[in-house]
Amino acid sequence: MEIGTLIDVLTATIRIATPLLFAALGGLLSERAGTFAVGVEGMMLAGAFGGAVAALMSGNVLIGFLVAPMAGALLGLVVGIATARFRADQMVAGLAINILSLGLTSFLLRGLFGGRAPVIRLTIPPVVPVPWLSDIPLLGPVLFRHPLVIYAAFLLVIPVWIFLMKTRGGLILRAVGENPEAAHAAGSNPILVRIAAIAGGGALAGLGGATLALQEVGTFTDGMTNGRGFIALAAIIVGRWTPVGAMLGCLLFGAVAALELRIQGLGLPVSSYVIQMVPYLLALALLAGVGRSARMPAAIGAPFQKH
Amino acid sequence: MSLVAEPVPSPSHRRGIDRLVDALSGSARTSLLMVGAVALALATTACLILLAGTNPITAYGALVRGAFGSLDRVIFGINKATPYILAGAGVALCFRAKVINIGAEGQIAVGGIGATFIALNAALLPVVLVVPLSLAAGALCGAIWAGLAAIVHLKRGVHEVLCTLLLNFVGVLLVSEVLHGDMGEPGAGFPQSPLIARVARLPKLISGTDLHIGILLAVVVVVALHVLFWRTTFGFRLRIMGESRSAADYVGLSVPRATMRVMLLAGGLAGLAGGIEVLGVHLRLIEGFSAGFGFNAVAVALLASLNPLAVLPAGLFLGFLEAGALAMQREVGVPSSLVFVIQGLTMIFVLCAIGIGGAERKV
Repeated sequence: MEIGTLIDVLTATIRIATPLLFAALGGLLSERAGTFAVGVEGMMLAGAFGGAVAALMSGNVLIGFLVAPMAGALLGLVVGIATARFRADQMVAGLAINILSLGLTSFLLRGLFGGRAPVIRLTIPPVVPVPWLSDIPLLGPVLFRHPLVIYAAFLLVIPVWIFLMKTRGGLILRAVGENPEAAHAAGSNPILVRIAAIAGGGALAGLGGATLALQEVGTFTDGMTNGRGFIALAAIIVGRWTPVGAMLGCLLFGAVAALELRIQGLGLPVSSYVIQMVPYLLALALLAGVGRSARMPAAIGAPFQKH
Repeated sequence: MSLVAEPVPSPSHRRGIDRLVDALSGSARTSLLMVGAVALALATTACLILLAGTNPITAYGALVRGAFGSLDRVIFGINKATPYILAGAGVALCFRAKVINIGAEGQIAVGGIGATFIALNAALLPVVLVVPLSLAAGALCGAIWAGLAAIVHLKRGVHEVLCTLLLNFVGVLLVSEVLHGDMGEPGAGFPQSPLIARVARLPKLISGTDLHIGILLAVVVVVALHVLFWRTTFGFRLRIMGESRSAADYVGLSVPRATMRVMLLAGGLAGLAGGIEVLGVHLRLIEGFSAGFGFNAVAVALLASLNPLAVLPAGLFLGFLEAGALAMQREVGVPSSLVFVIQGLTMIFVLCAIGIGGAERKV
């Protein structure tokens, strides 16, 4: 591979991984607190919609990035209350929120803008090179010539890690995911902790959606997340429920998608549909490889009930 | 993972909604909860319609007329419901055994491919065998697709939700792949197969209308599943598995084997649904024909509170809801994407109802 091509592919990897990373970090909060994050797909979509609409109406992309997490958190709140308070099945509630999000965003889009399939067009925020660092050969263009939101996503891994592993709040969150009864006995409220973790995770997933709509595509279209939330979910598992692991997982899926674009461009005798299957098959293969060795939070999936 | 909630502690410990639900009992409670959930979803959606500037009564009136306004409309709804019933019945059995199969979408997709493949080669087969063989091929392909997910789940310990989910995407892409390859109609502007021969189409139930025999097959299948579930050892095993994995282990029941079987069964039913959709409605394979079906199957199974027989009314409800919503969009301009809103809300309310109610089921 030529050096230029390599730089292109690596840069695209980071760009494509960013929305996934936000969603994976959000899903991680939810799963570490003991709730499967099947709904991140819907939360991403809500964030993409909320972000795009807010940006369009205010004429300011920054406002879009502020509203998107609210939209994601709102859906997270619904999932949190349904699963933690009312003990709804986590997997199916997640699926339901995904379909709800698809319907709501599509409905509201038409309600707000009329017509059959309106398209929101926006100005994509510019690349902000990091002074000096961006001049390093190879590393510079790959790592340090991105729009701000991409730096933010990767830097976010650090506070999320610190929060989960080094703070009291993170300890309580993890305890609720491992043994809610013990956490309850120790004086915390597992139901509230779960609701907060899912809503917080929803906010991050919403940011991921906004990145997709406002940064990558520059528009909102129906169902535009198109399975990315599920890939983020796979990244969490492949990354063994750690922030850094999830980040590496997202980069891996980003790399596959970046290569996919390349291969389609090269006109190889492989059909584009087969190439599009690769991320899903790869996710499946990786999960099968990680298999039983991965230890998921012990209380995940189980509703907590006060006795 | 619990679709069936844990045993409920004595009512004195519970408050508010919990106590209200406890006051009702048995299957009356289950039915009431389901109706309540649907009503709540429709009411919430009515607020949205109002916000969009349309009178909800006008909109829902158009929806009901669209679903039941004429014989043709009713038939449209029934045909729509047929694949939901079949796939939903399989999902219900899986969920009952606590095997969360959300892969109906992909299973329907590859089922459609299998059925189309045989149907397109109808000339090579004796006339009477074309339809049965096509449908069988659909069921087989669906079963294989579900079996793949089951193998990855059982052998590698990957959660079945992820296996079935990821294979959905692959299955749907596979339809596009074959349509851009050997099965595609050359020169068609849209990714689709050539029309299948007349002998390969599903016979009509009422001649001169669109009503094909699919619904009849669905009824037969659902009744058979009811018997299977309540009257056979296999059904008993599924029920024990659903209640408690440790109990199943204790009585020496092979959980992996039962998991594999129920997945194959559900996949087969979904594949059959795909075949029926192709041979009965579209008369050709079309790109994206199974979009959303997997979710609908889950919705139907839940609305039926995982009861094989109750899948029939639940499937018809969803079929008519969609048929009505399409008409509503045409008549009063309210987007039919509202169906997703109604479905999503209904499911969330149903899940909460199950969770609160702790619906006790007989084993």
